[in-house]
Formats: sequence, C-alpha cells, structure tokens
Amino acid sequence: MEYYINNFLFTYFPHIAFAVFWFGLFTRFILANKTIQANSTQLMTNKGVKWGSNLFHYGIIVVFFGHFTLFLPEEVYHLVMSTETKRMIAIIFGSFFGIITFIGLVILVTRRATDPRLRVNSRFADYFILILLLIETILGLISVFTTASSPLENYTSLGVWTQKVITFQPEAGAMIAGHSIMYKIHFVIGLLVFMIFPYTKLMHMIVYPITYFFRSGYQLVRKRS
Amino acid sequence: MKIRAQIAMVLNLDKCIGCHTCSVTCKNVWTSQKGMEYVWFNNVETKPGIGYPDEWENQERWKGGWKLDKNRLVPRMGGKSKIMRNIFANPDMPMIDAYYEPFTFNYSILHKGSKFKTPPSARPYSILTGQPMEKIEKTPNWEDDLGGEFEKRSREINFEEVQKEIYGEFENSFMLYLPRLCEHCLNPTCLAACPSGAIYKREEDGIVLIDQNRCRGWRQCVSACPYKKVYFNWETNKSEKCTFCYPRSEVGDATICSESCVGRIRYIGIMLYDADKILAAASVSDTQDLYGEHLNLFLNPNDPKIIEEAKKQGIPHNVLEAARKSPIYKIAIDWKVAFPLHPEYRTLPMVWYVPSLSPIQAAADSGKLGVNGILPDVESLRISNKYLANLFTAGDEKPIIAALKKMLAMRAYMRSKTVDNECNTDVLMETGLTPDETEKMYELMAIASYNDRFVIPTSHKEYAEDVFDKKTSGGYPKSYGSESELFKNLFGGI
Repeated sequence: MEYYINNFLFTYFPHIAFAVFWFGLFTRFILANKTIQANSTQLMTNKGVKWGSNLFHYGIIVVFFGHFTLFLPEEVYHLVMSTETKRMIAIIFGSFFGIITFIGLVILVTRRATDPRLRVNSRFADYFILILLLIETILGLISVFTTASSPLENYTSLGVWTQKVITFQPEAGAMIAGHSIMYKIHFVIGLLVFMIFPYTKLMHMIVYPITYFFRSGYQLVRKRS
Repeated sequence: MKIRAQIAMVLNLDKCIGCHTCSVTCKNVWTSQKGMEYVWFNNVETKPGIGYPDEWENQERWKGGWKLDKNRLVPRMGGKSKIMRNIFANPDMPMIDAYYEPFTFNYSILHKGSKFKTPPSARPYSILTGQPMEKIEKTPNWEDDLGGEFEKRSREINFEEVQKEIYGEFENSFMLYLPRLCEHCLNPTCLAACPSGAIYKREEDGIVLIDQNRCRGWRQCVSACPYKKVYFNWETNKSEKCTFCYPRSEVGDATICSESCVGRIRYIGIMLYDADKILAAASVSDTQDLYGEHLNLFLNPNDPKIIEEAKKQGIPHNVLEAARKSPIYKIAIDWKVAFPLHPEYRTLPMVWYVPSLSPIQAAADSGKLGVNGILPDVESLRISNKYLANLFTAGDEKPIIAALKKMLAMRAYMRSKTVDNECNTDVLMETGLTPDETEKMYELMAIASYNDRFVIPTSHKEYAEDVFDKKTSGGYPKSYGSESELFKNLFGGI
C-alpha cells in the first residue's frame, strides 16, 4: 500500500498535475484571456501592501527560480561547484528568501483578514491560494532545515528524482521513498499548486509584462479595429 | 511630418455655472456599475480648492505627469525599470479615501421600519463594507461653492506666488468652476506607464483608451496620470477612464457631458498636429515655454500644403473638412483665448479652457471701476491673474492677460454695438482684434449655437477593417480572440 501511494504521488501525480497545468494554462489563455490579471486590492487600503506584497513577490520569485536548479544533472553543476557548495547555496538562499516570502505572506493574510473593506470583498479563492502558499512556504522552510541536517545523498536524490520525473522514468518515486514526510507533503502541495494554477489568480504570472522593456519609447498608437 | 487628427475640447469657464449636469449625465452613462461608485470621469471642482482626489495638482505628492531627467523626458514616478520594480506595490497610488468612500442610504428603513420614537433618518452606509458610516468625510464635490474653511482649500498648489492671505478675506474671496475630464493628451503619461500596453492613443482621432482585454490591473496608470483621471475599478480590478464617449463621437455626436451642458460652455472640434514634434515639444526645459510649444504643434488646416500632405497621409476628407471648421482652432489658435490645463505636467493635454472673467476688485474698494484707458483694468479683476496663470500657463501671466483683455474688449464692443447703436472700435485697439473678428468671436463664444460648438466628423469604419472578409463569420466572437491573436498577450505582448 505504502509503495502504491508513494509510486502514485511521486511517479505519476507529477504528470497528472502538469497535464492539468498545461491544459488549463492554454485553455484559459485562449478562452478567458481577459480574466488573467493581477487582482490588486491596493486601492482599498495601503496597509501592508508595501511590505507584504513586495516581500512576498520578491521572495517567491527567487525561491521559485531556485527550485529549477534541481533539474541540473550532477555532471553539469560539477563543472562549476561541488554538491556540497550547491547545497550550501540552496540552504542559504532558500532559507533567506523563504523567510522573506513567509513574512510577506503572513502580512498579506492578516491584511486580508483584518481590514474591514477587504474582508467583505474577499472571496474563498483569495484566502485559499494565500493559505495554500503559506503552508507550502512553511513546509519548504522546514525542508531546508531537514536538508541541512541530513546526509548529502538525501539532497542529491531530490535532484535525481526531479530529473527522473521529467524524463518519464517509472522508478522515479522510489528515489525519495525514504525521505522525511515534510518533504513529501511539500512536494504534493507544490504539485497541487501547479495543478490548480491555471484556475487561480496566480495566472497573472504569465502576463508579467516583460515586453514593456522592449517597447520603443513610451507611447503607443493603434488604429481602431 | 506626421500629420494626425485629434479630437479636442474647449471649455469656456467664463460661462460655467457649476451645475454638475455634465458630471451627472456622465456618471449615469459610464460609471454607475459596481466598483465604479467613487469614479467620476467628469467632475466639476470649485476653485480654489484641493479638488478630487485630494490635492491632485500636487505632483510632489502624487508623482503624476512627466519630469525632465538630464533633458530626457521620463515619468515623474520613474522610468520603465522603476515602474516595473514598483509593480507589486505602487507607492504613489492614491487610496480610495483620497477620492471618497462611496456610500448609499438605507432608504427602505423609512418605509419598512416600525414606528420611530425619534424623527426618522437614513444613515449612510459604506458601499465598500456595507457597514453604517459614522460620518461622511467627503464627496467628489465636498468643496462645492467654497464649502469648508479657506485654510484647507488654500492648500491648493495654484496659490504659489499668490498672496493667499488676501483671498482668505471674505470680501476678497473668489471662485471659479473647473469641470475636469480626461485630457486625451498628446503625450499621455498613463499610456507611457502602462506595462501591458493596454492603454493606447487611437490614430484616427487621438482618443486615449484602455483596452479592457489587455489591462492586467498593474495600476501604474492611476498614479501616472497627473490629472488623476484614470480610475481603478475595485470590482473588476482593471482601470477605466473617460472614453470621450467614442460610441457617440464616432457617429458625429457630442460627448454626453457636452451635449447636456446647459451653459453651452463646451466646444468639440478637430485639430491637426505634427506627431513628429511631440517629444521635442514636451521636453523643452522651461515649463513656461510649454504652452507656446504646444501651440506650435498644431497645423493650419487652411494651408493648401498641409491639406495636400494630410491627404497623402490618408487623413479622410471629412476630417480635414471638420478641421477647417474647428471651433477649437478658432478659440485656441486664432484668438488665443483658451489654454491647456497645467501644461507644466508635459502631457500636452487636449482639453483646453477659456479663463473666466471676474468682478472688478477695485470697484469694491473705491466705488468706481478701475479703468485702464477705456477698458477695465484686467489687473483689478478679482481672480488673480497669477492664479489663472498657475492653472493654465505654468505661471506665465502674459497670455492670460491678453486673453482676458480680448474677452473684455469683445464685451465692450458688442455692448457699444447693441446698446449704444454705434460700433466703438477703440476698445479693440489694444487687443489687435478687428470688428469682423470680434463679431465672429461673439457668435461662437457668446451665442454658441449647437452646430458651431460641435464640429465632429463621423468615423470611417470602412477603413478600420475589410468587412467583406468578415462575411458569415458572425457578430461577436464566441470567445475571446481569434487564432491570430492567440499569443499576442503573452508576457504583456503588444
């Protein structure tokens, strides 16, 4: 039974989650494009926006992209650094920006729950995604300390797991079968976040206006169409 | 030379009676939905006053408009990288309290409630929270007709270099109404600050619009606009602004604010301008030169060379026709009696104002008119010229004085003609107006008949798209976007 659950969650669930993710991403982008937006509540109250929103966003951007280093095979990063150094960097960056994200999230949750204007105008979805990310961040922070205190192989196997998953290898789940439960919940909730991503306001990430930098000058003129 | 047509408006403040009809009709048409209760695309302010939202003219506080950074024109709130850094929390965004907390009254209690022991009253309820409000702190016209104490009102930035103590005294106080709407600027900061590229200026008529499909609610436009005329809809979480009533103006109708103006103070017409010169004009170092530079952008619609070039660049015949008959051109260029609101923001606004005349100050002091030659001395008008200059010409009094003199001269001339039955041309001497021109001015500004006020060409839908290809493809698309548009919005693509 345990094998079955482990295999399901860490070999197959990632693919299910990402299938839903990509399906949702494209369908929402095409069918409900104008609903993809930042949903800012800054107009209602400035309280907690400056620190909450900035800490959360800048923190989670670094943390998010930090996770991508898991996809680097050992042979690649060994060209620049040893596994120990990589783990050290991951622990330092992960804990620092993780804590920043955590503080930001706590401010944002309290802001939403305590401000009378926001409380009335908040939907279940607003709380749900905040709480989910908060739990995920806490688990992530705990995992950082688990990583720091466990043998190096534990850390390397995380990378191997992710690489096996994205290369569709059936024994992927076995790589982390013996890992701490904190890791596992962190993975499952993380995959869950991806799975529901297209159906939440997190979608504003994919319309982040990078092209603004490449717009020539400032002005835009369009023909009526 | 890149010739473009711009639909523009002039408001004759001299005739504004501050009835708010424009605001109310606009409100009913455009901003009565949820999330927009606090929004007035058109509002009428009593000046002096801090306005709506609070101190909107104080750009030290709100960071709207442009500034010159080493001779380079950048939004006052910061260039592209600063705007993008502030995208998670806009430090310059006015809160809804700076406008006012929208409220309603629970009227049903008056007819549903049981017997009252006290005289019944309806309490205000906040629309944001649904809770009763202790006190209404303000509304969009809280300072209407000089409501509130002078101390607060005089925080207004236009009192710079004006001895405001004098105007604080009751017998010297003055007021004027200032109806405000989106300026549909030639160099809009809201557009420049929009990271998604949702805000654009329409090539055909220069109307500045927000594409609701592209707007992602990054809310930088709200703080970028120095007139604070872009509003954030808290229900849809997207920005909305005045559309110059484009569904009306496209078919040649006046905007709803102009149509309903009982004082007939509003004029709408077409102006031709050279789009290549915009950047240079907006970047002159001395803010007092901006009014002159702005005037230089406009092209003479009667010049055959301009007409030929405009035709070559594809400006439709009826637009050129309208430009020749433009009331705006006459008022702003020929007679130079209208001015842009706060040109020092460097946005090159296209809603202009005829400054208002006011009672003669000195008459109250000495019992007789202060007369300079034949005309009353404009210096003795109750509204300080410096104050008007701070509003309209970045503090340069000369053009304001010249305009006021023309308006006084027009009145004196027409009075002599209709009352004394003799044309007193002496009054016109100093202004450079001819009797013929004065009568035209009188016709347009005093009589202001409907067809003279609004010269709006209908739009050319036939150029907008090849409609034949759309045959049998249905009316509105089943869903957003056609296949060719699929990826245009990825990462704010434009």
